[in-house]
Amino acid sequence: MKEKLEIIRELLANNQEIDASKIHILMLDLFKTQFKGLHVENYIGDYPTFIEPVYLGDKVKLGDDVLLGPNVYIGKNSEIGDYVQLTNSIIFDNVKIGANINLENCIVAKDSSLNFNNPNIKNCIIIGKADSEEDLKKISFSI
Amino acid sequence: MSDKEEREIQRFMELDSNKLTKGKERELAIQIEEDIMNQNEVLADQINQEFKKYNIKSIDIVGAIGAGKTAIIEKILEKLASKYRILVICGDVTTRVDANRIEKHNVESIQINTGRECALNAYHINQIIKNKDLNNYDLIIIENVGNLICPSDFILGTDKRVTIVSITEGEWVIEKHPMLFKMSDVAVINKIDLAEILETDVDKMINDAKKINPNIQVITTSAKTGKNIDKLIEIFGLEN
Repeated sequence: MKEKLEIIRELLANNQEIDASKIHILMLDLFKTQFKGLHVENYIGDYPTFIEPVYLGDKVKLGDDVLLGPNVYIGKNSEIGDYVQLTNSIIFDNVKIGANINLENCIVAKDSSLNFNNPNIKNCIIIGKADSEEDLKKISFSI
Repeated sequence: MSDKEEREIQRFMELDSNKLTKGKERELAIQIEEDIMNQNEVLADQINQEFKKYNIKSIDIVGAIGAGKTAIIEKILEKLASKYRILVICGDVTTRVDANRIEKHNVESIQINTGRECALNAYHINQIIKNKDLNNYDLIIIENVGNLICPSDFILGTDKRVTIVSITEGEWVIEKHPMLFKMSDVAVINKIDLAEILETDVDKMINDAKKINPNIQVITTSAKTGKNIDKLIEIFGLEN
């Protein structure tokens, strides 16, 4: 899994030329071939809802009433706010997802943050920080 | 079932969170509760259509912690794992103890941890099946979160709902949980091997289930000795 994640990570690092469809295909392949049997070992937080497969890196913080899965990867040191729902999504390291956001079929690059009131975000790659819907348009790529 | 008993069950069903609210808040709480139930039923119906489309048999197994739900599933898997392509979905508030037990039978299992919720609902199941190729399965067994109260609020869209109780829960356990038996197709009284030692009135338990739901099929089993597991498989409409 690490190798395939690294390929996606490198593609995201080149944010001048994002090949969204290629990244999307890699993500779907990852879910299909690498996620079987993944389950949660450790996290910081209350009792969230998990639908396997879900993988959480070290020191992931989860808020209240969070729902994760199926097919969710969250990298180390990321923070997930209260009432967040994540499905079929990859969240890389050091990401902050604000409260009550619903991400489906999305990839969030490392060090990104989302902190505004827009519960439903689907089918996109997010690279950077957004405090409003306007901000999000500037840092997201449709897949 | 008498009108009085019907009213009593209805009253139990209404004794929920909305009783903590007043006036307009109460109206809103009732409306939200109704909306949630309706949405669950719509989704459960869609799930059932999907299962039928792919010719998948499906069973929702409900019962208290320690009743023997996982043990009975394991006994069934011993007999059916080589004949059916099976997916077992295990619901628990936390831990993956049950999924680990199921996986030892070389059957695919998915654990759902419900956290603060005390039952699986149709949304949980739909999230799984919409991400699976249903061509790969003949049988889906869902083991619900262990208790005899919350699962009565949420149907999951399965062909059959089976409620398992055990002799060790006492002979009043069925009488005290009418809602679940009212909406179940099969009642299993497990750990029958202990009935004599514990002097449990098994006939009373069977009669209680039949009184609450005249259409329910009642069977006594022992996951420990394997007693009546074949009969249970037959009741499920599966070939042993």
